[in-house]
Amino acid sequence: MSANETVIDHLLQFEFFQKISTAIGSQIGVSHIWVWYMVALILVAAVITGILAAVGGFGTYAERKISADIQGRFGPNRVGPYGLFQVIADGLKMIGKEDISPNESDKFLFYLAPFLCIFGVVATFAVLPFSAGLTLSKTNVGIYYVVAISSLVGLGIFIAGYASNSKWSLLGGMRGASQIISYEIPVTLSIMSILLLSGGLSFEDILANQTAWPAGWYIFHNPFTFIGFFVYFVSVLAETNRAPFDLPEAESELVSGYHTEYTGMRYGLFALAEYMEVFVVCGLAATLFLGGYHVPFDIGKGTIFGDILQIGTFFAKTLGLYYVVIWVRWTFPRLRVDHLMSICWKYLTPIALFNLLGVSVWILFFDGKSILDLFLSAISSGPVGH
Amino acid sequence: MLPEIVLLFSAFMVFLGGILLISTKNLMHSCIFLLMCLFGVAGVYASLGAEFLAVTQIIVYIGGIVILMLFAVMLTGGKEFISRLHKVLNLAPLMGDKSTYMKGSIVGLIIFGGLSAFFYQLLKVLPLKEQQVSDYKIIGHSLLTDNLLAFELSSFLLLGALIGAAIIAKPEKVSESKPTDI
Repeated sequence: MSANETVIDHLLQFEFFQKISTAIGSQIGVSHIWVWYMVALILVAAVITGILAAVGGFGTYAERKISADIQGRFGPNRVGPYGLFQVIADGLKMIGKEDISPNESDKFLFYLAPFLCIFGVVATFAVLPFSAGLTLSKTNVGIYYVVAISSLVGLGIFIAGYASNSKWSLLGGMRGASQIISYEIPVTLSIMSILLLSGGLSFEDILANQTAWPAGWYIFHNPFTFIGFFVYFVSVLAETNRAPFDLPEAESELVSGYHTEYTGMRYGLFALAEYMEVFVVCGLAATLFLGGYHVPFDIGKGTIFGDILQIGTFFAKTLGLYYVVIWVRWTFPRLRVDHLMSICWKYLTPIALFNLLGVSVWILFFDGKSILDLFLSAISSGPVGH
Repeated sequence: MLPEIVLLFSAFMVFLGGILLISTKNLMHSCIFLLMCLFGVAGVYASLGAEFLAVTQIIVYIGGIVILMLFAVMLTGGKEFISRLHKVLNLAPLMGDKSTYMKGSIVGLIIFGGLSAFFYQLLKVLPLKEQQVSDYKIIGHSLLTDNLLAFELSSFLLLGALIGAAIIAKPEKVSESKPTDI
């Protein structure tokens, strides 16, 4: 086995899971532990992907409900209680639709593009820390892996725009690719300033120095990380093509942008990828800046109950940020293309570079202590000077 | 056992991607198969315990090079350009000739044989068991201590490339300034 610790290693600590695994192993006569290990890993991965796909699906419902709330309407309220089954109705409708591809399109790339998008998002679930136990793989390059693998989404958008053989799609795809590549820079620089504080690339390292209370979060560690959080959040809005940066699918100019020619579930995959990516970047923001899954007083640490509490904390923080993302969409008008680029290159990137430098200087001068630590030590040693 | 399965699967991906990459005539498809091939290489690195190298492979080659290639292909022009290119390629001596293929395959075999003999010797010497320490810390430490000069020189090279690209891409001076549209 490699040095990676996976979720199955964590589960094997519990007695009932060991009992189940030995029982199943003796039933089907599997002597190799690794077959069962792989099957269990695939099962847990499938469950996580299913749950997050449901979160992405209900993202559309949340979007419509919240936008209706902001605009003083009711939103979907016919299918099921409070319109909750609207998602299922939408999904069934999409599956039932005819699968159309344009005549002159590049069929291979046209069919491939939605899967590149969805793969780029789902692959990030492998390292997302839902709780101390429920992390599919605790690789030591966690955050670096997320930054790398999510670039496939931009590739998928670009390929979709090219393969559709439509002017709207091509313009949307080009905009999407240039926007995503540009905004990766401030995102990565803000993440790097946090990595300087944590001293490691894995999510465990990042979470080790944070506590459950806001005073111990990295966002309140020093002024530079406080600015860095907002730089990160604005940039990920652009990277996930959310309004006010949804230029690749600007309805008023480009019909529907890169997915103009897609119908049915192929379009659905793009929409699902977008909503799941918003969840992923909000989860990253919660982990990097807002203390992640830490529960106050470490209640139930090391037990299943504690894991459930930690998952609840993670989801609460992430869905709170998710609400803000939707809120922003229905509050601000869309930017113009050249404004979008100038915001990235003339404002966000220099600010992020300045933050990186600032955090380094802070670590050098204050020995990596947070502003609260410095304040407390100043109070305790203050009267000596008088 | 899991790393071995990942290794075999990744090696198959590299092989299949490479074969498809050179056999297809569509440049965009070639780029996608190149992506598959490079992803397989990243998988090989990951299964051998070099996670940092694997992720760097993804971030540099898939996030950077493949997207750059797709952009370059899209900016080269349409069907007229490609037919002109084919004409030039047919005119060039020894292109698509039988003897070219012969010479090419002989050279390829020699290089492949030499490299595999070299790596076989290397594999016998090197211990393949992965280290338990996180490898990126060692890389970072050695970059900023023992190999500082090489690191700085390459950063100068990249800075030069950046400035050069900015100068090449600088728009010509025109009297009326219009907003650029992408």
